[in-house]
Amino acid sequence: MNDKQIPLSYANGLIHDLEKAFWDERGKGARFRTTSVGRDYFRERCLPRIQADDTDGILAAVREALQQDGVVGEVTYTREDRLLRVRIQGCVHRPVEDQLIAKGVEPFTCIPANLIALAIEDKLDQPVELAEIKVEGGACQLLMVVFEARPTLE
Amino acid sequence: MADGNALAEATLKVIRDRRSIREYTDEPVSDADLDLILEAARQAPSGENAQPWRFVIVRDPAARRSLGALAGGGSGRRFTSEFVTKKMQERFASLEDEAKKKAAFEKLTSGQVSAFLASAPLNIVVCGKKDVWDMPYDTSAAIENMLLMVTALGLGACWVIAPCIDIRDEERVKTLFGIPEGFKAVSIISVGHPTRPHRPRPRLDLKELVFREKWGTAYYRDEA
Repeated sequence: MNDKQIPLSYANGLIHDLEKAFWDERGKGARFRTTSVGRDYFRERCLPRIQADDTDGILAAVREALQQDGVVGEVTYTREDRLLRVRIQGCVHRPVEDQLIAKGVEPFTCIPANLIALAIEDKLDQPVELAEIKVEGGACQLLMVVFEARPTLE
Repeated sequence: MADGNALAEATLKVIRDRRSIREYTDEPVSDADLDLILEAARQAPSGENAQPWRFVIVRDPAARRSLGALAGGGSGRRFTSEFVTKKMQERFASLEDEAKKKAAFEKLTSGQVSAFLASAPLNIVVCGKKDVWDMPYDTSAAIENMLLMVTALGLGACWVIAPCIDIRDEERVKTLFGIPEGFKAVSIISVGHPTRPHRPRPRLDLKELVFREKWGTAYYRDEA
């Protein structure tokens, strides 16, 4: 088995190309087709760590997994009613967003955001929507909406 | 030629009369009408004649309620996101009537705009086979054919993407109706008898839409 690591710039370049191709095909709708990206990682690396059944504990577990695997640096957040604002610094995928912005495409996918949404939905059964990704001051600012309850199917 | 013009006029009338109908009476859609709607879908153009469309007919009240919940939940999430980022307010900036604006925001962010699937007497789940080249286009053509036949029959319909656009919701729709992995849940078409006539929605002028030979050169010119 070849365990040589590939350059990060190569991986991010491919992610950018895939996202850009998806944007070119689906436009603003691309965002909604990438909400489950990261699900396997979530199940393998995040879910086993989540012991808490509150947002603070869930976010702490996701942050711990991402930091331990070297995906992100600092992660901070604030809650205001249903709005969850997450600030992520030092994300290894940040160049993907920079490349998209340089081509006039608003960033529409964030793996840490997907993991947070998957965690809250899995542990609290509360739907989560990523409303916005802003790249500011060297960090990504995520605006997420956490809904009270999932509409009943019966 | 006279017959040809009559057919063209009749066709254009059906196209122009189509509306997105979200309120229906309790009267069921007859099997005979449904057969015509599905036959219209079957005759749609298809790349390589792959005919990737499949349809699940849903009349069961419990299944309709589930679809309504999924559609309302999906719409509500997306429109709430648009609202909290102020993009919805920008989109409605030209609407001066504040009461109407507030009502529109409420209808969109609550998901009511799509939850009506629960009360439609008939929902058609349009599925598309993934292992073909042109599935999104083929299924969209089939859907438009259905909408036009619905209109010609004096019925009403609405093309609802809300429970299929987000992959998380689409997965639930597929589970609900047992749709296999090789197929995508594309859209839901609600059908029924409209409760009232609906006015046409504004359309952009052809002058804004059509170019001559090259992008940017107007095809239709203002008369001198």
